[in-house]
Amino acid sequence: MVGTNDNEEFVQEFLVESTENLDQLDRDLIALERAPGDEERLASIFRTVHTIKGNSGFFGFSKLGALTHSGEHLLGRLRDGKLVLDDRVTGSLYSMVDAVRSILRTIETTGSEGDHDFRDLAQRLTAVAAGEAVEPAPLAPAATPAVPAQIEPVPAAKESPASAVSAEAVAPRAPVVSAAGVGTASGVAPAVEKGIAPDRTASESSIRVDVGLVGSILDLVGELVLARNQLRSIETDDPAVLAAAHRINAVTNALQETAVKTRLQPIEHVFNKFPRTVRDLAVSCGKEVHLSIDGGDTELDRTLIESIRDPLTHLVRNAVDHGIESPDARAARGKPRIGRLALRAFNESGQVTIEVEDDGGGIAVEVVRQKAIAKGLVTAEKAAALPDERILQFIFEPGFSTAVTVTSVSGRGVGMDVVKTNIEAIGGTVDIHSRPGLGTTVRVRVPLTLAIMPALIVRSGSERLAIPQAAVRELVPLKPLGDREGDRGGPRIEGLADAPVIRLRGRLLPVVFLDEFLGLRERTACRDEGTVVLVRVDDHEFGVVIDGVRHGIPTEAGVGEAASLSTVVVKPIGSLLAQVGLYAGATVLGDGGVVLILDLRGLLQAADLPAAREVDAVAAAAAATDADRYLVCRTRHGRRIALPLDQITRLESVPAGDVQVLGDRKVVRRGDGFTPVVDADRLLGGGGTEPGDAVKLVVLGGPEGPVAVSVGQILDVLAAESPLQSTAATRGIAGLLALGGLATEVLDVSRGQPW
Amino acid sequence: MVSHAGVFDACAFRAGEHCFAVDTSCVAEVLHSARLTPVPLAPESIVGLLHLRGRIVPVIDMRRRLGLPAADPDASRINLVIRLGDDWYSLLVDEVLDVQSIHLDRIERPVKSVDGAATDAVTGVFADEARLVHILDPERLVQSLHRQRISSLVRHGVTHGG
Repeated sequence: MVGTNDNEEFVQEFLVESTENLDQLDRDLIALERAPGDEERLASIFRTVHTIKGNSGFFGFSKLGALTHSGEHLLGRLRDGKLVLDDRVTGSLYSMVDAVRSILRTIETTGSEGDHDFRDLAQRLTAVAAGEAVEPAPLAPAATPAVPAQIEPVPAAKESPASAVSAEAVAPRAPVVSAAGVGTASGVAPAVEKGIAPDRTASESSIRVDVGLVGSILDLVGELVLARNQLRSIETDDPAVLAAAHRINAVTNALQETAVKTRLQPIEHVFNKFPRTVRDLAVSCGKEVHLSIDGGDTELDRTLIESIRDPLTHLVRNAVDHGIESPDARAARGKPRIGRLALRAFNESGQVTIEVEDDGGGIAVEVVRQKAIAKGLVTAEKAAALPDERILQFIFEPGFSTAVTVTSVSGRGVGMDVVKTNIEAIGGTVDIHSRPGLGTTVRVRVPLTLAIMPALIVRSGSERLAIPQAAVRELVPLKPLGDREGDRGGPRIEGLADAPVIRLRGRLLPVVFLDEFLGLRERTACRDEGTVVLVRVDDHEFGVVIDGVRHGIPTEAGVGEAASLSTVVVKPIGSLLAQVGLYAGATVLGDGGVVLILDLRGLLQAADLPAAREVDAVAAAAAATDADRYLVCRTRHGRRIALPLDQITRLESVPAGDVQVLGDRKVVRRGDGFTPVVDADRLLGGGGTEPGDAVKLVVLGGPEGPVAVSVGQILDVLAAESPLQSTAATRGIAGLLALGGLATEVLDVSRGQPW
Repeated sequence: MVSHAGVFDACAFRAGEHCFAVDTSCVAEVLHSARLTPVPLAPESIVGLLHLRGRIVPVIDMRRRLGLPAADPDASRINLVIRLGDDWYSLLVDEVLDVQSIHLDRIERPVKSVDGAATDAVTGVFADEARLVHILDPERLVQSLHRQRISSLVRHGVTHGG
């Protein structure tokens, strides 16, 4: 019957419209249950069902027609006052909505109504309409296949065709309804009323636009921005041209802002499902729950709307199933029998915050603490010392569940860790607050959009790269090794072997040299220039070393040169380059240049940085002062030696040609003077060797001026594990020390002087 | 690739000393100058990204892709932008030659090798008066690049592993 393309288009429209109508039906039914005498509501329900019935007839969907006809008949009896609304009636009406939804889904995927016969349901509707005694409707519709298992962390369900986006954002917005109920316990019922208010006029002020079209508009606006930038760079004194350029500039900015908004959708699209979800769930758990929704008009990128649907559904289910107590338990605690669940969304500092708050029992912190210890996530001593807020974070660990009983609704092993993972995947955060006996609040923060984001444009080697600003904690200029004065200029690179770290406020953080990692610059033994961009990904904090100022103490201006903040439009780079795993996309800057956006999660994996915990362990050793720490090197003959870190001013790698031989001495030119070079092997009484292309020098500051010790390889910076044990008058050696579990000779430069 | 009349229009180009051709229906644009942004650690054949009207397009150096000697770094080369479904690619070639209508019955099976060049994407050979034209399947050109990730990371490890 769906023969032509034209018809298909209409069917598509019918499906979209009907799906929206069903959501409205759900909300209307819940409101009607609460206020059975509301004739206007009943009339609205009647009209909606009538519309679906009429359209079904038009397209020849006979099963749908028969089913809605029975429903309409039942509603007619209600409207005429010949039937009283009771559980039987609402139950069968909910069943009808589910059945219609299921048929619509079948039509959407297969093009036909499918084989399932809903005649029994139609008969039950008729029987109920006639006031006959019938088998009660299934108590928990949520458990029937008609409603897909929303609890599973499946990718966003495609409940509405992806080909259309409502462009309401462009239309003038209704004034935002005041956020009554936020932070207060009042205004719960009105908030629901607001969500349900028949706001059908919205369809008259909005149009359906193909998502691809919106994308093309955004691309074209991006082009316009570039052209505008070119225009701005033209030097002219002509006032007419300047005025026109100024105007084009202003219009372009406004256009870009507006175009971005076309991608946004109100979060209602997710929230609208929850009244029904909560109702069904409460019924099946034998609880009473009052849901209030606030801020449904808060807007979010449509792709993000899909991504938060499952995590939010999970949070709502958790709140009803585990959070809110049974009416009797509540009464025993002196709380109202009806539990309260509040969903709120609002804009906050460029992000969207969504709160799921219940007034249930809260989370038993002690249970979490014991379980974390039992699961080996933390030691008993440490757990005892951790504050409750930190203990609560353990519920985000994989496989962690505090539910004492596993119900059919939740507690299937997928839990908060999945919520956290899904939210973090879109650049968001989740945190949880619990007041024992009073309730739990889960706060989800997500970016407004992924299409545009603030990013730090940095330089590395010869390239520019973008780092998503959401992950950036701070910028720290590195302190050159030669700089001994005070604390200015920030930390240095330590642990020079294969795992460089920086020490910052008592913590050791792993760092990755972006230029070396990306192959933009040769690897060198020692680096002390640049700026560390401290980032946080999931639970990992690490530093990304970018180019900074070249000499001296970096200044604010220096950092400014190295990195600049910019709002970038994220563009896909295609599967070919996405497979590299290091780039989240690319963007075009104002000067027309293309810049890759780093995927920090990918970088973290690829760079294989030590985990945060390991760093914690190292931190204890690092707490030792400089006086206890040694630079461990290998001489070119392979001897393991150490030099006291507090005497070292600089590490250098110089071309072999820079070391001049003057008789039996060697010097290297540094700045205005010459620094004597000592071969570590000769200092130890062995023969010197000819170095390869580059000489690695450890420059020590001595009372008679600097001395450079040439070594074969720099291994690490380690804290002494034993007191210095002096060895009898061995040339060039101050003593023996345990470093990294190995006996290591400490070089004595002052006694040697064998040049 | 096949048009209804048993004829297809091929856009011929030169890479190194060889002539190749792709179906014109996938050719979107020819760019004579474009600013390339290199992509660190990308598969070897991908020499960069270019910006084409709001779209970021990966650029495949056809000499590298086909295993031909590297081009003179100063030589000006041409971007032949192709479109495969929703994906866009640019083939960096030495010269875009012409568009010819080729009868399918004049296309012969590909020879085993093109002087050492990679032939995995060559689906046929066509000889006109002056030259031998190797017909390329653009899908295959791109597909094999998806497998180069590991080798490029290994290469990276060798160069920078200390």
